[in-house]
Amino acid sequence: MAAPATFHRLFIANRGEVAVRIATACDALGITPVFGVSEADADAAYLDGRESVRLGPGRATHSYLDPARVVQAARQSGCTALHPGWGFLAENPRFAALCESHGITFVGPPAHVMHLMGKKTPAKRAMAAAGLDLIPGSDGILADAEQAREVADRIGYPVLIKAESGGGGRGMRIARAPDEVAAAYADAQAEARAAFGDPRVYMERLVEGGRHIEIQVVGDRYGQAIHLGERDCTVQRNHQKLIEESPSPVLPEPVRARSLQAAVEATRRIGYVGAGTMEFLLDSDGVLRFMEMNTRLQVEHCVSEMRAGVDLVREQLRVAAGHALSLRQEQIELTGHAIECRINAEDPNDGFRPAPGTITRWQSPDAADGQVRVDTHVTSGYRIPPHYDSLICKVIARGNDRDAAIDQMLGALDQLICEGVPTTVPMHQAILASEDFRAHRYDTRKIPGWPV
Amino acid sequence: MTHVPLVPIGAPRAEICDDATFCAHADALTQREAILAERRAEVAAGWGDKYVQRVHAKGKLTTRERLAQLADPGTRLFEVGTFVNYGERFGDKGLQSPGAGVVTAFAQIEGRWCMVIANDNTVASGSWWPRTPEKIERAQMMALRLRLPTVYLVDCSGLFLPEQSRSFPGAKGAGHIFKMNSLLSAHGVPQLAGVFGDCIAGGGYMPIISDRVYMTEQAYMVIAGAALIKGAKSQKITSLDIGGPEVHVHASRCADARVPDDATLLRALRQDVAKLPGSAAGYYRGDAGPMEPTFPSAELRGILPADHREAYDATEVLARLCDGSLFWEVMPHSGEEMICGIGRVGGLYAGFVINRQGLVGDPERPGARRPAGILYRAGIAKIAAFSRACNDDGIPLVWLQDIAGFDIGLEAEAQGLLGFGSSLIYTNSTNQVPMFTVLLRKASGAGYYAMAGLPYDPVVQLSTTISRLSVMEGRTLAIATYNTKLDDDFEIITQDPKERAQLEAGMKAVEARIEQDMDPYLAAQTLDTDEVVALPELRDYLRVLVEASYQSIGYRRIKNSRIWSLHDLQVLTAGPR
Repeated sequence: MAAPATFHRLFIANRGEVAVRIATACDALGITPVFGVSEADADAAYLDGRESVRLGPGRATHSYLDPARVVQAARQSGCTALHPGWGFLAENPRFAALCESHGITFVGPPAHVMHLMGKKTPAKRAMAAAGLDLIPGSDGILADAEQAREVADRIGYPVLIKAESGGGGRGMRIARAPDEVAAAYADAQAEARAAFGDPRVYMERLVEGGRHIEIQVVGDRYGQAIHLGERDCTVQRNHQKLIEESPSPVLPEPVRARSLQAAVEATRRIGYVGAGTMEFLLDSDGVLRFMEMNTRLQVEHCVSEMRAGVDLVREQLRVAAGHALSLRQEQIELTGHAIECRINAEDPNDGFRPAPGTITRWQSPDAADGQVRVDTHVTSGYRIPPHYDSLICKVIARGNDRDAAIDQMLGALDQLICEGVPTTVPMHQAILASEDFRAHRYDTRKIPGWPV
Repeated sequence: MTHVPLVPIGAPRAEICDDATFCAHADALTQREAILAERRAEVAAGWGDKYVQRVHAKGKLTTRERLAQLADPGTRLFEVGTFVNYGERFGDKGLQSPGAGVVTAFAQIEGRWCMVIANDNTVASGSWWPRTPEKIERAQMMALRLRLPTVYLVDCSGLFLPEQSRSFPGAKGAGHIFKMNSLLSAHGVPQLAGVFGDCIAGGGYMPIISDRVYMTEQAYMVIAGAALIKGAKSQKITSLDIGGPEVHVHASRCADARVPDDATLLRALRQDVAKLPGSAAGYYRGDAGPMEPTFPSAELRGILPADHREAYDATEVLARLCDGSLFWEVMPHSGEEMICGIGRVGGLYAGFVINRQGLVGDPERPGARRPAGILYRAGIAKIAAFSRACNDDGIPLVWLQDIAGFDIGLEAEAQGLLGFGSSLIYTNSTNQVPMFTVLLRKASGAGYYAMAGLPYDPVVQLSTTISRLSVMEGRTLAIATYNTKLDDDFEIITQDPKERAQLEAGMKAVEARIEQDMDPYLAAQTLDTDEVVALPELRDYLRVLVEASYQSIGYRRIKNSRIWSLHDLQVLTAGPR
């Protein structure tokens, strides 16, 4: 089947494996990708034979993170669409609006929907209205310390007071007992005012541990939405995901079915367009509680692709060009179990210290039989620039069940050769081999099987 | 190039000024705005609890309670005319009339912006004071200009008679309300009325022209009540017998339907509004949607110094009013003292005009700087062209004033500022597009006129707590007054100590008088401005007004952005390419 008519040239406002991933989808659709690159990336092998435009110096704030430069580069290179990938400007509504007002289709949701999902209280309201469970908390902004105390007493301790315009952990305070609420409220407010110029705070019950589960959704411009199942991303280090898998091995079936449906309904209701992820916390009561929506494709989207046999980037591009979704929910069959390991150039035996340097020899695992997928931008001789995050490769493995998928992954990791820089492969091997991982004895606070 | 090339503007507050300056400015504004909140609460309380209880005892809701039930849950009212008659006393007893005894507000009902006009039944049973008719007529005019459905909650015992000479006879006397009723009807603006109680004389006429009139069982409408009917007492005839629902719903058909009580009436009104065409705002937004500014509008408090002599960056004000802090400045290379351009508010395009502060380049003397906050030739020509283009294109226009006046002197006259000013005045006077004016700080003399001050019929004019509305600043006015006694440097000529002291005292008195006159609440009291708003809510007001401008489809030209004349202006003024 011939590729459907869409954009002729698309600007990739990203780097590394993200850029490679998007370019692959462009190739499949007959779109010419144009890579926006920083000086630090300009000589990378993944750009060989590709068109690229220099954005600026290595420092991301002057290249990948500068909205005006990126839009200008996209226009000057004759692109009609722009894919932000993930990270950098992917969740910046102002950037999305800037693209649109300069005639470039932003591959992602409309700016105002992205904006809405970026604001905590309105996002939660919208999700609650669509039938998703929330982490118990205040109904929006707290009026004063007295109300904070009332809400805390109602929802139960410990509680977390958070800045409405917050981020990065600032303007956040924990109260573990009633007598701590007033001080925590005042501190959070003062910090929020100082950091964000906005003293408004709200409250949530602090859920410690639990499992991180997220649902992949895609919507089109015509009110249709589908899901591609859930992913379990509980294996984390400092909120940094390490291993993702689908389906979640611990999610009760009725909760899964209900939540998937509610997520699709929510997607439709907020007028969401493109690929997005709703993040949840599975608490100790077995309730899946909505945390936030990521209005972009995610690193771990490959896990869902492996199970569903759907190319999410291709679907994103089609939807952005005004096509309706190519699939209905009932046409999507989620089969087997898929698992992904993020391989970083970090030394797991040395506090995960990033290790930029040159990869003297690189050999990817064999992906010929379709049970293993490798997403990477590195090759032998690749020099890892120090400016960006240290992900060098993702390995995704599939099996009929979880154990088979894990065994498949262990086989693939055995084949992976990376010389010149340390990687997190040994950590993954230890986790996958551990009894705690196989028996689901872990939550977001504890990496199973690591340190050994 | 027909897209609207919005670009990011503004900077984080930390880059604009240091924390100490920001906090000092913010504290000054916060104090003033605390007073605003207090005064609003005072007006909202009407004549107080005793009167609230009196209303409740009759099984009725207070006007504020009615408004809360009428508007969509979770939305706020955007009142105008809150401070009309504020602090003034009337009649022999020196009675006050909070809000002039009527609430006028933009309210969202079933997703549609409506103008609601509601007699305050906690203030002298909703009677009409001096300026009450003007306040009602002003609200009706806003509704007419924006074609907003108009809802009357009528509960009015007629004119406050001791002061009848100030509310009955003039061009804006009470009877003009009914002329406005007629004009609204003639222009196809839906009007709905709920009659909740005594509606005597004028109170009886106000609802009748509405398309739909409801009466509660306690309501009556009469040309004259039982008090003026001969023999009524002995026959035990009440006003309810003369003009209650039995008469008007059934015999006269002056009303359409009877309802048992206030709450039911409000529900019925909501149902009717729901049957009207929905808002076209979503249609005109296209793929865009509302987005807050990147830099919060609450920061305006720290950016606008309360002291009118202190400068600030006008761009930073725009950055805190426009969606996503994105803005397209047109004709940026001429008339530097003025900024004209397009931004979105709540996802809808609006034109903005704001004047700069501080110093700007002087085109007559390359390299030299001259004070901004003044209208020079190029600036006047630019805002006239921009205003004309927005009118052509159907883009609602927001004027943000902090202006001292026109340039003066030989050069200004020789350049023909009178002429350029007249062209601007002609443009603003004949514009059909909705214009909204905000007196950010200074609104002096011809500057106030040139930037669409109230005499040029903006649909709504808002003041802030630091607005200064006057023909000129006090010092200038004192100089003008005592001109013959002053030398070239405006110093007092005479050396006689006694005479000097007299002159100094006189000039000071003039200055003090002007300072007092510039109080924004005084302007609001006399309807010389429509509302005093807090800076953090300024964008909310603008969002409502802009959305209301796009709500009613079809009566006004709204061109899509491909065919804006602004694009032509931009190409023509950007120089040869």
